[in-house]
Amino acid sequence: MRPVGLYVERWSPLHALDPISKLVYAICLALVPFVAGDLRVTFVALAGNLALLAVGRVVREGLLALAGVGFFLATLFLVQGMVYPGNATPLVSVGPLVLYREGLAYAVWLTARFVNLTLSAFVLLFTTRPADLVDELVRAGLPPRAGYVLLSVLQIIPSMAARISAIQDAQRSRGMETEGPIWVRMRALLPVLGPLVISSLVAMQERALALEVRGFGAPGPRTLYRPPWRHRLAWPVRLAAVSALLGALVWRLAG
Amino acid sequence: MATGAQPRAGIWTTRWTTLTLVLIPVGIAINFVGKFVAQALKLPLWLDSIGTVLAAFIAGPWVGALTGALNNIIYGLTVDPVSFWYFITSVGIGLSAGIMARLGFIRSTPRAVVAGLAVALVATVVSFPINVYLWGGQTGNVWGDALFTALTLRGVPLWLASFLDELVVDLPDKVLTVLIAFGLFKALPRRLLSQFELGEGELRRTA
Repeated sequence: MRPVGLYVERWSPLHALDPISKLVYAICLALVPFVAGDLRVTFVALAGNLALLAVGRVVREGLLALAGVGFFLATLFLVQGMVYPGNATPLVSVGPLVLYREGLAYAVWLTARFVNLTLSAFVLLFTTRPADLVDELVRAGLPPRAGYVLLSVLQIIPSMAARISAIQDAQRSRGMETEGPIWVRMRALLPVLGPLVISSLVAMQERALALEVRGFGAPGPRTLYRPPWRHRLAWPVRLAAVSALLGALVWRLAG
Repeated sequence: MATGAQPRAGIWTTRWTTLTLVLIPVGIAINFVGKFVAQALKLPLWLDSIGTVLAAFIAGPWVGALTGALNNIIYGLTVDPVSFWYFITSVGIGLSAGIMARLGFIRSTPRAVVAGLAVALVATVVSFPINVYLWGGQTGNVWGDALFTALTLRGVPLWLASFLDELVVDLPDKVLTVLIAFGLFKALPRRLLSQFELGEGELRRTA
């Protein structure tokens, strides 16, 4: 089964950059439109993110992942076009429905902000192995136990997902219906979730014991298995990202 | 001992052990699986907080809140960056589910329904301002958004329409989530639950 997450394994300059710098970048760039409150600035940030996805050689994957929310974005245009409180200028009317210019402009703004946030995160997510990110966060001061919690989720989910299909097959062979009207499908929830959840929680006890035996609860400092991830552009990237955010703030204040 | 009742424990007491820490990722994984199964069965619900509620039932409000927070952080870091914004909602769900459990609301099914209503209300109150800020009031759920549009066109104020948009989705979703978590909780082996018990820790046997 495919590992959880969006990470794409390949070589690129962005894959080589250290995870913390990419995290700083993603947070700063995602916040730029919220701070600047300006559509033009948002488009600049968007273009920058697209360019970086190209550097990371993951543009195609990024746009495909974005297509999943296309339907919601379409409803955003439809609903805001009709009901945005500032609506005044009718633009298009389809039957009894009227779309207004102000509402559509507002939908453009919400969409641009959302797409920028998503692409900023994609710059990090598509090019960084989650384990590497957590490792570096622990090195930067995240408690190791929190690091364990974050990483173990990524290991538990695939094993649980693999068990679901086995349980579904077993229950189906005993007559569970998984298709049909909603109440029939609703009834299929418990026979699938029950065995899965209970067996996972029972297995959890064994995992806790295994961890205890290996010194999980022991006091004292921890050492890391991997050497620190150094990159000569780490600080320039972080500074550039923070100054972009500050620039957005200046833009807002200067009006 | 009656299911889920921990009479002598305070509402906020938590036993922090390795087992408690391991419960958190399992809870997050259950959230993920619930969402996956709901999608596979094409149910018009999210069902993405069963694990948070279950962790809160087992180990109290703080563990529930932490499970919720980390759930959205991990989800944001791996699949869907927007879930960062809603992490406060997940914290609310975990806290309220844990408090209701400690107040004795998971002793019977009717009480669990009340707990579900409380969790739904908390989730709605916390989520709808985020919806108004991020999406002009929409939730992304087709039924909720249809109601939102109809209400706003009839002159209902945006805030109220957005609140109802979220409530109409959250109410069935969270009540069902809490009931599923309640059913799972009752089916858990006593040997497991006893390790999270507070107080003197002796295992009392009743039917």
